[in-house]
Amino acid sequence: MGTREEPSAGGDPIVAIYHRALPQVYGYFLPRCGSAAVAEDLTAETFMAAVAAARRDPAADVTVAWLVGVARHKLVDHWRRVAREERGLAAVEQEEDGVDDPWQDRLDADAAHAALARLSDPQRLALTLRYLDGLPVAEVAEHLGRTLRGTETLLVRARAALRRVYEEGEP
Amino acid sequence: MTGDPLDALRLPIVPIDPRPEFAAALLRRLEAREEPALGRGATVRYFVDDLDAAVSFYCEQLGFEEELRPSPVFAMLYRGELRLLLSVPSEPHALPDGTLPEPGGWNRISLQVSDLDAAVRALRERGARFRNEIASGVAVRQVLLEDPAGNPIELFEPSAGYHERS
Repeated sequence: MGTREEPSAGGDPIVAIYHRALPQVYGYFLPRCGSAAVAEDLTAETFMAAVAAARRDPAADVTVAWLVGVARHKLVDHWRRVAREERGLAAVEQEEDGVDDPWQDRLDADAAHAALARLSDPQRLALTLRYLDGLPVAEVAEHLGRTLRGTETLLVRARAALRRVYEEGEP
Repeated sequence: MTGDPLDALRLPIVPIDPRPEFAAALLRRLEAREEPALGRGATVRYFVDDLDAAVSFYCEQLGFEEELRPSPVFAMLYRGELRLLLSVPSEPHALPDGTLPEPGGWNRISLQVSDLDAAVRALRERGARFRNEIASGVAVRQVLLEDPAGNPIELFEPSAGYHERS
């Protein structure tokens, strides 16, 4: 019926949790993008976007977990940008045959993370969301804007590519 | 189900403090963000018993424009930067004991006109009701007009000593 515009409560909710949230957001980015400069940029982007989003929706529940969700979107955007810029250079690189996926042994997580950094960006992004962040495939698909089937295919190929790089060891 | 070996890649967030200079600079940026754009002008709500009559009056007599009329009990009008909400008293406005707001009273919006005499003459010709005759106040000449529901509207014309923030 009537319009009820309430003035928002004073004090920005993002600023209020800034000191608690900052190391979490930066701690999310740094190991995932492997560059302090990129991690700083994405951290700043995350907080600026969060402030804008919280103002658009004063009912938003501003928590550290929510900010990490915003951060994950920023990471996806970042890799998409990078992938667009590199398209043409690297687009042809992938014509996977290996659909078999015989990961058997325990993974050396450090070596696997190092191997991950050498994959193409779409593969790296898919594996990051699926395994580093532990998202279900459906959520990975949502982030990537792909179908479930397409995401599953991407993940299978990415796993195979990771395995090759992982087994080659350091270049 | 056996676990997926790639689950070993799981990377829970370990908090890492960024460079203090970066942390301080980002906080400054966040705090310097401008406050959300407040509506430029003021919003006033008037209660009216007949919405059609009120909308016609404000639009035809006083130069308001109808922005929204989404229901038979609510309209949103604009005059410059003043947003006027017209509501027919109904349940959402009731107090806990059921009391409904009523039109009327003495608080009012105040609209500036350049020639008060001419404005009053024209309004009277079109049948508008006034509560009084033009009177001289402090730094203004003013008169009290009534809308069809009986809400007062002050019309004023600046005179010597008039002030508003420039």
